[in-house]
Amino acid sequence: MVSQVQHRPIIGVSPDGTISGRSQGAGGSVRPLTGSEYGAIQAIRANRPFRAAIHDEVMAASAVLEVSDFELYYGAAKALHAISMPVPRGKVTALVGPSGCGKSTLLRSINRLNDLIDGVRIEGDMRLNGESVYSPYVDVIDLRKRMGMVFQKSNPFPMSIFENVVYALRIDGENRKSLLKETCERALRAAALWDEVKDRLHESALGMSGGQQQRLCIARAIAAEPEVLLMDEPCSALDPIATLRIEEFIHEIRGRLTVVIVTHNMQQAARVSDFTAFMYLGRLVEYGPTATIFQNPRLKETEDYVRGRFG
Amino acid sequence: MVWLSGMALCLSLTIILSLIGVVLWNGFRTFWPAPIHLVTLRDGSTFLGMPVRSEAYESEPARVEALRKTDIEGALTTDGRVIRTLYRVGNKEILGEPFRWVDAGDIASIDLPPHAVLVERLQWGPWIGQPGAIVSVEEVVIGADEPLVGTTDTEHGSRRFERAELNEAGGGGPRRVRQTTFVCEGPEETLRAFGPAHVAAVARRTHIERLKEEDVGVINRELTALQNGVRLAELRHAEGAITEADFGAIRASSEQRAGELRAGFSTIMERVRRLEAEDAMHRWIVTDPGTQRFAPISQSEPGSPMLLSQVVRCVPANDIGVVGKVRVYLARWWEFLTDGPRETNTEGGIMPVIFGTVAMTLLLCVLVVPMGVVAALYLREYARQGWVVSAVRVAVNNLAGVPSIVYGVFGLGFFCYSVGSWVDRGPQAPLSPQSWWGIVGLTVVLAAASIVLGLVAKIRPLRPDSAIKMLGRFLSLLGWLGVIVGVGVLVVRLPYFHGFFRERPAATFGTPGVLWASLTLALLTLPVVIVSTEEAISAVPRSLREGSYGCGASKWQTIRRVVLPRAAPGIMTGMILAMARGAGEVAPLMLVGAVKLASELPFEASFPWLHLERSFMHLGFHIFDLGFQSPDSEGARPLVWTTTFILMSVVVTLNITAIGLRARLRRRFGGGHF
Ligand SMILES: Nc1ncnc2c1ncn2[C@@H]1O[C@H](COP(=O)(O)OP(=O)(O)O)[C@@H](O)[C@H]1O
Ligand SMILES: [Mg+2]
Repeated sequence: MVSQVQHRPIIGVSPDGTISGRSQGAGGSVRPLTGSEYGAIQAIRANRPFRAAIHDEVMAASAVLEVSDFELYYGAAKALHAISMPVPRGKVTALVGPSGCGKSTLLRSINRLNDLIDGVRIEGDMRLNGESVYSPYVDVIDLRKRMGMVFQKSNPFPMSIFENVVYALRIDGENRKSLLKETCERALRAAALWDEVKDRLHESALGMSGGQQQRLCIARAIAAEPEVLLMDEPCSALDPIATLRIEEFIHEIRGRLTVVIVTHNMQQAARVSDFTAFMYLGRLVEYGPTATIFQNPRLKETEDYVRGRFG
Repeated sequence: MVWLSGMALCLSLTIILSLIGVVLWNGFRTFWPAPIHLVTLRDGSTFLGMPVRSEAYESEPARVEALRKTDIEGALTTDGRVIRTLYRVGNKEILGEPFRWVDAGDIASIDLPPHAVLVERLQWGPWIGQPGAIVSVEEVVIGADEPLVGTTDTEHGSRRFERAELNEAGGGGPRRVRQTTFVCEGPEETLRAFGPAHVAAVARRTHIERLKEEDVGVINRELTALQNGVRLAELRHAEGAITEADFGAIRASSEQRAGELRAGFSTIMERVRRLEAEDAMHRWIVTDPGTQRFAPISQSEPGSPMLLSQVVRCVPANDIGVVGKVRVYLARWWEFLTDGPRETNTEGGIMPVIFGTVAMTLLLCVLVVPMGVVAALYLREYARQGWVVSAVRVAVNNLAGVPSIVYGVFGLGFFCYSVGSWVDRGPQAPLSPQSWWGIVGLTVVLAAASIVLGLVAKIRPLRPDSAIKMLGRFLSLLGWLGVIVGVGVLVVRLPYFHGFFRERPAATFGTPGVLWASLTLALLTLPVVIVSTEEAISAVPRSLREGSYGCGASKWQTIRRVVLPRAAPGIMTGMILAMARGAGEVAPLMLVGAVKLASELPFEASFPWLHLERSFMHLGFHIFDLGFQSPDSEGARPLVWTTTFILMSVVVTLNITAIGLRARLRRRFGGGHF
């Protein structure tokens, strides 16, 4: 299984993180950039109107989620500035950008988890399959049931492994033993956890290792067959082996499920995603197919960021 | 600063440890059998007694001078105070005081007489003396010329007897005499024969008690129930609820049944009388050497020796070795832990007291935890955090500072007298049926209006923050408050309810009882539970809640399935604190249910098992009672220590159980495992 990842054509990033295969530039040597080349960043820093560079391939794909002019305030502080972006159906979309640029905020806005925070105000809207997410008449609970979410820190509930996985079904009032068992096995298999825990399904979930706990959270998020899976830095607290497992999982479900994943790890974004969006200071900067973003971005700041030169 | 705080810690630890040490030492010493001294005083008089403790006291100078002259060793301390020893002398009927101080200077000699016994009796405290004989006493009619002393032949051989005339019969003819036959004589013989004879006597006594308490008790209970049934029928007849004929039938049938029961009662009492007559034959003579008088059957009959069945335990303290003493010690502990109290609580055991304490504490937990958790959930999860909630929180915390006696007064006034009497006899001032139904109508209308107004808030095409919706929500809230008030009035002044126990002559729930005591203590300990639950709830990681909401759970589902299980150990902590506080509380209990002597446990082997309306005995109150209200304070003092030790053990046991339970919860629901 490990080999599966390595055999996949990796887009221009070698395991040590340097970007290779660039045609642009003088003989592959890294060219020092001058200030004048950072038009976008200067515009953002000066708070001037600014249009994100969205590639045509993104617009061409069929979108499951449509973010339009979405703005979010934490009290008086504006955390998201007029974000407009489609999320292609059945693809893996990575959100990258320096810390505090609003990736988590954007992700949590999709399933309205930000509703739980006092003082959050939004403008604009999102549409899931054409239906508004933020209309006052939306049933938030119903909406959340159509999405799954995996958090940065694994958060297994204080109950057995089995009950953790079937949580979403339980709260829907599902009590048929056979169905629950089936769902549990399917979700755990998808998260590559079944073989490890099948003999102790009724033990506490808190006795598992960190990586197992995170895969359990993934199993829980996909048990109710959501349309969109939101992952907020799912591997940042894990060791390389556990990370690999989760990346394998994303490969497995590619095409069946729309995944939006926030990551700090450029190699990971390059390995797992079909599309990559680069955010900076609450704005979307550039958004395109992962190959293009990593090999041939339109903006210099994107190039610098994915090559690890700032951020 | 380190030194200061370290010293403060050491100081408090020392105080606590020495307190525990004192309680343990005194608590465990109580039942160890002391030796019996035969004390001969300088004036020639003697007495038997068990030394309790010695001390030095200041006496008048003349006495000190006199003692100094006699030059008796150990009469005075070096600084000129008189040394004296407290002896437990028992024999209350003839000596009056069961304890006696003796100056060391007055003592000529102290011996450890063999065969001297401490007799623990059912009544009048201990008797200390020399066993003389086991006798059989009966009343017989003899011919005019038969002798008053002589021997008679029995299957065990020839026995001496003495006879005393009972009636002043002049002249010839048969005479009624009380004949005392000596079954065995001499201290050694008597002690040897005492064991088996005592076992038989105790068996007889137990049999008599069982007949009196259980069999007669069953009949008495049924008679009371019949009486209550007739009274209820009478009340209902007076109201016109049942016809004259029905009432007559009920009365007739219960009178018939009562007749049967009384007949059964007579049969049982006849058996009791026979057994008691037999019991009255078996006696023994234990003589006080100082006065040469033996332990009497009762204070009014000093000339008649005591029954064997009146003996609880006979301890020949000077004859038994360490093994024997250990056996006596353990037997006394066993009696203490499994028997009921005797002699205004200064003797016997404290089983009902332990039982009452444990029952009340468990009931307290059952009541306080749900109340506290619901309140804390509302404060922490549902109420909008603002100054109102903060004010409520401060108020709750301050409730913990209200003197506990205030809770007692409240419990007595509200639970016992208001709620209890409502349960017993129905509303004191019922509404007329017309106005009652009027209020029912109003309440229903109000409820309907509130529902409609509540629905306004759900109208889809309106925005959630529109003025109409806000108004609707507010009015609906007001409406529901009105409905609550209405329902309250309807219940409190319900004209159709006459109470569950109106036929009973005495109040049932309308008096202090274990239920009201638990409720009162639940109110008292509520702040503790609320505070710990709030803390536990707010310590549940945000990520857990978000995970649950992310799965599409509603708020209540999140609370029930994630927050509460995770907070369970913290809630248990609150319960443990409440328990510790509640079990040690005494003042409010004196008002709402703890009594000096409860004749019945709040639990019974027959339906309906639990009798939460009954008053109960409580270790804390028992300690107070023994220590300060006992007629025999010197005799009760050791028991104060032992009872204190038991109270501490009960509290510690309950706490350890709860802590163990919490540890298990922690393992299941608690923090991580890395
Ligand atoms: N609960 C919150 N209250 C106020 N400000 C917040 C909150 N969460 C995040 N922010 C702010 O919003 C901005 C974006 O945060 P976040 O979305 O967490 O960034 P990222 O996930 O990209 O590191 C940051 O400046 C952060 O300080
Ligand atoms: Mg983040």
